[in-house]
Amino acid sequence: MTNVFAFAESRLGNIRRASLEAVTAARQVADQTGGQVHAMLAGGPGIGAHAAKLAAHGADVVIVLEDVGFRHYNPEALVATIAARLGGGSTGYRAAFFSASAQGHDLVARTAARMGLPYASDVTEFTIGADSATAKHPGYTNKVLQNFTLKGALAIISLRAGAVLPKESPKTGTVEPISSAVDPASVRVKVTATEASGGAKLDLGEAPVIVSGGRGLKEAANFTLVEDLAAAFGNAAVGATRAVTDDGWRPHSDQIGQTGRLVSPDLYVACGISGAIQHLAGMRTAKTIVAINKDREAPIFKVADYGIVGDVLQVLPVLTEAVRKAKNG
Amino acid sequence: MKIAVCIKRVPDQDVRFKIAPGAKSIDEAGLKFDLSDFDGYAAEVAIQITEKAGAGEVTVISLGPDAVQETLRKALSMGAHRAVQLKHDAAVHDGNAIAAALAAELKAGGYDLILTGRMAVDTQNRSVGAQLAEKLGVAYIGAITQLDVTTGMVKARRELEGAYELVECALPAVLSIDEGIARARYPSLKGIMAAKKKPMDVKPAQLGEQRYTLDSVELPAERAAGRIIGEGADAVPELVRLLKEEAKVL
Amino acid sequence: MTASNVVFAMVIVAAFGLFAWNARRLVAQLQLGRRDDDRWNALGARLTNLLQIGIFQKKIFRDSVAGPMHAAIFWGFCILTAGTIEFLVAGVFTSFSYSDFLPDALHQFYTVNQDIWGALVLAAVSFALFRRITRRVKRLMGAETHPNDPLLILSWIAALMLTMFGDNAMELIANPAGAGHAWEPISAGIASALSGTVSPHTALHVGQGFWFAHAALVLGFLNYLPYSKHLHVVVSLPNVFLSDTSGPAKVGVLRAMDLEGDVEVFGVKDVEHLSWKSLLDGFACTECGRCTSVCPANITGKALSPRKIMVNVRERVEQRAVEAGVGLLGRKATPPSTANGEPPTAHSLLLLDGYITEEELWACTSCRACVTECPVSIDQLSVITEMRRNLVLGESRFPEEVMPAFESMEQRGSPWAFDPSDRAKWAEGMNIPTMAEMAASGEKPEVLYWVGCMGSFDDRAKKTTVAFAKIMLAAGVRFAILGQEEKCNGDPARRMGNEYLYQMLAKDAVGVLNNYAVTKIVTACPHCFHQMGNEFPQWGGNYEVIHHSTFIEQLMAAGKVPLRQDLHEPVSTFTYHDSCYLGRYNEVYDAPRETLRRALPVMNLVEMPRSRDRGLCCGAGGGRMFMEEHVSEGGKRINAERADEALATGAKTIAVACPFCMTMMADSIKSRESDVEVLDVAEVVAGRMVVQ
Repeated sequence: MTNVFAFAESRLGNIRRASLEAVTAARQVADQTGGQVHAMLAGGPGIGAHAAKLAAHGADVVIVLEDVGFRHYNPEALVATIAARLGGGSTGYRAAFFSASAQGHDLVARTAARMGLPYASDVTEFTIGADSATAKHPGYTNKVLQNFTLKGALAIISLRAGAVLPKESPKTGTVEPISSAVDPASVRVKVTATEASGGAKLDLGEAPVIVSGGRGLKEAANFTLVEDLAAAFGNAAVGATRAVTDDGWRPHSDQIGQTGRLVSPDLYVACGISGAIQHLAGMRTAKTIVAINKDREAPIFKVADYGIVGDVLQVLPVLTEAVRKAKNG
Repeated sequence: MKIAVCIKRVPDQDVRFKIAPGAKSIDEAGLKFDLSDFDGYAAEVAIQITEKAGAGEVTVISLGPDAVQETLRKALSMGAHRAVQLKHDAAVHDGNAIAAALAAELKAGGYDLILTGRMAVDTQNRSVGAQLAEKLGVAYIGAITQLDVTTGMVKARRELEGAYELVECALPAVLSIDEGIARARYPSLKGIMAAKKKPMDVKPAQLGEQRYTLDSVELPAERAAGRIIGEGADAVPELVRLLKEEAKVL
Repeated sequence: MTASNVVFAMVIVAAFGLFAWNARRLVAQLQLGRRDDDRWNALGARLTNLLQIGIFQKKIFRDSVAGPMHAAIFWGFCILTAGTIEFLVAGVFTSFSYSDFLPDALHQFYTVNQDIWGALVLAAVSFALFRRITRRVKRLMGAETHPNDPLLILSWIAALMLTMFGDNAMELIANPAGAGHAWEPISAGIASALSGTVSPHTALHVGQGFWFAHAALVLGFLNYLPYSKHLHVVVSLPNVFLSDTSGPAKVGVLRAMDLEGDVEVFGVKDVEHLSWKSLLDGFACTECGRCTSVCPANITGKALSPRKIMVNVRERVEQRAVEAGVGLLGRKATPPSTANGEPPTAHSLLLLDGYITEEELWACTSCRACVTECPVSIDQLSVITEMRRNLVLGESRFPEEVMPAFESMEQRGSPWAFDPSDRAKWAEGMNIPTMAEMAASGEKPEVLYWVGCMGSFDDRAKKTTVAFAKIMLAAGVRFAILGQEEKCNGDPARRMGNEYLYQMLAKDAVGVLNNYAVTKIVTACPHCFHQMGNEFPQWGGNYEVIHHSTFIEQLMAAGKVPLRQDLHEPVSTFTYHDSCYLGRYNEVYDAPRETLRRALPVMNLVEMPRSRDRGLCCGAGGGRMFMEEHVSEGGKRINAERADEALATGAKTIAVACPFCMTMMADSIKSRESDVEVLDVAEVVAGRMVVQ
């Protein structure tokens, strides 16, 4: 019971960064238990090509489930296959890592349930002991950290993105092709399509980053600067203050604040926003707030983590360029 | 259609939490409690389905001490028809155990749909929905942002990071509801009055063994006081560095 | 008595009988409404209202053109009614004349007045007709008005006057030396002009013609009224007497709802849920449009027209009367047309949705301009609020952006989702005790400072809070705050129709205040000021509540505020924006102005065209602060309308005395790229204090 399992999440034939984090975490544990890392890849034909990347991050064995029935996420067939793998035989595992992504949350909950086991969800720190594990997991809208004990021979853990950063640790990565434990076509829950939402506008409630503009932009045309910065982030939506939507610079649906959308993204960039009560009520729970405003006394600086005092029209183009570089570089 | 909605009573999140002496839990003094946001969406979805059909019954169910009756009443005042409290006074964190207790109650109910919120906003575990589906042996779709329930079928959309999935399954099913489908309605006084007369069953919760337990809670490191890092475009490189290295959002 | 006398007597009896029958139906229609609204208290105040507003036409004169015109017609009618009685009695008893019992001088006075007021009425009516036909008076227009009715009525009155003069003049020609002729300058003038062409014999016959025409017009007029919006003529004086809105009660106090009892319908969905007095209001309305012309929502292009609300109430009562078998009073009631021309359903006939839309109701800022303006003391606002109550309590229908405010009031005791533990953060380092701290050391403050949610959480309003606290500290006032024990008193919830949430919060707040045996409260928020001073008594909270502008003025008058003596500053120009809840609701107009004058003796205070009880709302009242303002094509934001008016005065500073007004004015000024400052009166005073 010294091996460690890692599920390598992929989407439409591409491996996701979260999978490398899961493999890296598994490697850390395996180094401590003296066991092997078994990373599992599942997808349509050709998914096995990514095995080398998992090996480079510490997978001794790469289990490859290559089947047209797994081109889209196939939770029921996947759960049956993983549970069979984790549950029986001589390859008993001490721990199994999943990603706390949209798909990972789904997969780990189903897998643990199938095995009748509890698991630790959305974990930021963990330790694996002999027959129990500990896990730290944020709760209460991420305002409180909870420390859990997870009892049992197999510790199932889903990792919050960024909790473990991918680290190269080359191993042989023997490929072990397997087939699905059940016919992937005869499942109850079917994913019929997976589409990138990149082209479509990101919803303010979903976007991890929001770039928002206020009256400091001077006129409606200058909102292109805000849009440019959002585009540079790639995962950003554009918001606005009530004053701006009232004046028709932006549609009402873009309004953030007491009478508009209440948001809490990972990053909120307030451009030319003074921070009226109406606006603060809608965004002050964002994890990180950046404010750019010419008035040093503006209330927005009281809630901002990072502030730049200056003309938003001059700062924005420079910031956009810098973000674009940071994203691509 | 017979629908059950599993709901949880949670503290209002728009406050700065304090840790209770002993650090076993948050300090609940002065906190207001309400239906967890996502559970509110789930209850709303269920109520809208029966309203639209002009038939059906929505049962709300919650596990916890007697205080959860207040939360159940809120769901009844929104328009749910009856409520069940699975009485258990201590906090439970093991999703597997919670699902077992819920399944024991729901198994024989003949429900077409069982809804949960995507997660409870306090513990943020997101495990009960899938675990419940497994215990009941029915189909499950989680974190739904768009939903279309037709005769015997569910078609749903789930948001992924930068993408979405379209998923379908047949009824009966367990679904967990994300934001975006429906905002929980504000109960009318008429609804509040009517809720007082709706049935509420209280039964002991059959939890079984708990293997996932909370040892302690703590507050994250104080968010560094906001600071002005510079003036004008010259401050941009420092900002980008901080976003990358300190805030880790780039 | 001749046969014709007998016939005329029968006609009179029939005419008055028909009128009495209609009057009885009016009473039956009023009884469709809620009857638990006692209006027979405070008779002294009611009589005062009747005299001032009714008889002396106090509010009518607020319009300098239509005012004198209407007063001439009204007073003329009062005086001419005496003549009409004489006229009708003489129709039965031919020899009847007031000259038989009145001393000569008095009779002479009476006759002259009849003659002159007849002419004044004729002149006023002619002017009114002229104005209606040739000038497009904006306030007289509107989809809900009945524009032909006044033309008919005015012509009718003109015909009454003309036949009266005709009768009198012919009488003078036919019987120049007749007994009882007193000095009738107008009639005599007509008579002398016509005496050349009309022989006494002809005059006798023509005079009889005029006499009959006048009699027919009088009795016809009496019985036309119930079929017209001009029932106003009969109903207005009783309406003024029975009104609470400008009289006996404290202004603007909302009805406390019984939420415990077995209530079928909360608030108002249809006319039978309205008080009988609101139904009377509907009949008293003559569609003059003064209310709508001062309505900030209407002025800026929103759907609301307070006049339409009252016209709708009357129309729906008439419709409902048919359904209830109480019978028709006026014209045949026409149900509202449905948008797509479909036949009306039971629901589309109701006052709410059938006649009055949700959009109209949510547009109201509860500023009371309509109620203040109405010459016959109609209370449009209570109808609007009662219907909001039905929307929220009965059907949970309200603009979706209001939900966070309701939820936050309930969860966090403030309409904004701020952490309650930050409530007293502004006071850190100021050494201001809380009530709890004072009570612990066995002390009691002179006054409790109720800070309010805006003053506690809004960065801009917090500056006012700090300024006012500094003034009190400098003046040596022993005051305390509630700190985290202070929570929203529920006023915004009540104005938005959420009486359930309101009562929860209000009762909590009264509990906290009574627990500390608070007797005197000062607050810088006019909404809290109104709520706690005027409405808290409903929940057993009786306190002396003072607005900070009054409080500061008193401190300054007592010489307790240490002001700098360097008066050689350039003269600055100020304008003061009246808060509705301070002004119209509580008649505090002078204290804030006086405070400014005392702080800045060399200041130039210019008034906006709409100021004091005519002040235009900032747009935030009635819960509008928590709603989106949807501006239609050609419309405007209310705060923009007000800011433009303030900027037009040329003032460099706009002084306010309300945190809501502060936000609305400052926002609008900012969007106009103007460098005009918006300051609270407390900030002005604090800025003038000796730095300590």
